[in-house]
Amino acid sequence: MGYERADGSIGIRNYVLVLSMVNCSNTVAQQVAQNTGANVIPIDCGCVEVADHHSRTCLALTAAALNPNVYAVLLVGLGCEQTDHNKIMADIAATGKPVSYIGIQDCGGPKQALAKGIEIVKTYQEEAAAQERKEYPLSKLVLAVQCGGSDWTTALSGNITIGEMTDLIVEEGGSVIISEVAGFPGSEHILAERAVTPEVGLEIIQMCDELRAEYVRDHGQSIEEVNPTPGNKAGGITTLVEKSMGNIKKIGTRSPIQGLITAGQHVPHPGVWILDLRAPGIDGNATSGFAMAGANLNVFSTGRGSPLGNAVMPVFKITGNPKSYEELSCMLDFNAGIVLRGATVEEAGKALLDEVIMAANGKLTRSEENGNFEFIIPRESRG
Amino acid sequence: MKALRCDCVDTVAVVAQPVSVGDVVEVGDSTLSVKESIALGHKIALQDIAAGELVYKYGVPIGRASQNIEKGYWVHTHNLQDITEQLCNQYAEEFRRKAGALR
Repeated sequence: MGYERADGSIGIRNYVLVLSMVNCSNTVAQQVAQNTGANVIPIDCGCVEVADHHSRTCLALTAAALNPNVYAVLLVGLGCEQTDHNKIMADIAATGKPVSYIGIQDCGGPKQALAKGIEIVKTYQEEAAAQERKEYPLSKLVLAVQCGGSDWTTALSGNITIGEMTDLIVEEGGSVIISEVAGFPGSEHILAERAVTPEVGLEIIQMCDELRAEYVRDHGQSIEEVNPTPGNKAGGITTLVEKSMGNIKKIGTRSPIQGLITAGQHVPHPGVWILDLRAPGIDGNATSGFAMAGANLNVFSTGRGSPLGNAVMPVFKITGNPKSYEELSCMLDFNAGIVLRGATVEEAGKALLDEVIMAANGKLTRSEENGNFEFIIPRESRG
Repeated sequence: MKALRCDCVDTVAVVAQPVSVGDVVEVGDSTLSVKESIALGHKIALQDIAAGELVYKYGVPIGRASQNIEKGYWVHTHNLQDITEQLCNQYAEEFRRKAGALR
């Protein structure tokens, strides 16, 4: 069940989002959110940015706003920032989503801007509360799958349980997006074989070739010098191909891969998709990339336990480690460790799907309960 | 005590608890004597593996043995070489040839 947007997409939440346009307006934006309970994205930039950096900033903010989980958006700027709030506002409004802008300079100062911001957000929240949740088929649901804070159980129980859920939901007509492409080398042939056409298979192979070349060109290191990480190795992963084989378990075994999308693109039709997002480093990059791709919910496998959330997309945590689940259930939504204690992967995958559907229907995830609403602009060498 | 084998062709399994010399672990229907201490989640050799041979997990090669590894010993960075680069090039070439034939 969810909320239909003017562009036909379905949100599983009715968030009101406050977007800061520039570092100078972060405080007012955050104060508006604190006073209303709205979600907020502060940014570390927004002015004197070089062209590709600037265009990625605008893309990320616009794409976050266009996530179907967002009912309405308030842009908070200073007034003289580089971030083009007029264009962002026009792009959001073009989809039929309510959007407003306030500038601190125009309002006569931060206190005045805060008062005006609170008033606008409260109006949006009243409208959002009046909208009824309706029933929609699973074919409208877009899930992301990710892993982080991994341990030895991530591949053996966590990711295979997500994989079973992926196959089930795609068979019901839904969509699943995988990314973390720096973790693909060594298993690209399996992904390419699963591509819906040879052309898509070649795109996957080409992406992995480029990715490996980028590491050497931009960082002077081969990708396997960086990955697996020291933490992965301490946990028992020896080689990149071993890590990548564990990574791709999240997209199951039965569903064809429909194609690749890049930052800010939504899936063109249901099925399994690869988000070609090469931003290296922390988990939040891929999470924000999924939010920008319009994913409703991120199903995130974490052996050791991670609290990560997202400003526009609940992050549903599953752990393959029964011990982590016992100790950290306050930030974990599902125990896939049952697979290590005798449950079949089919049983665990079905149980996970049931829980994910409940989260889609409105049951709060631990990330939301704990107030984890992070967002980072994922930067790549091309932006 | 258990070690988990992911695929029937695998030559290593993952220990599901820390193990020490002399322990006996179950791997599917058979058992295996542990020859050195192995940390939780690390790999144990299911058979003798000669230097230069490919090591299999998940049904695929995950690296090449850089020295002889006897059954029951720990398999990690000290005796397993990362050959991902070489495998990627091989997989890319094979897929391009196959896709070219299909088109």
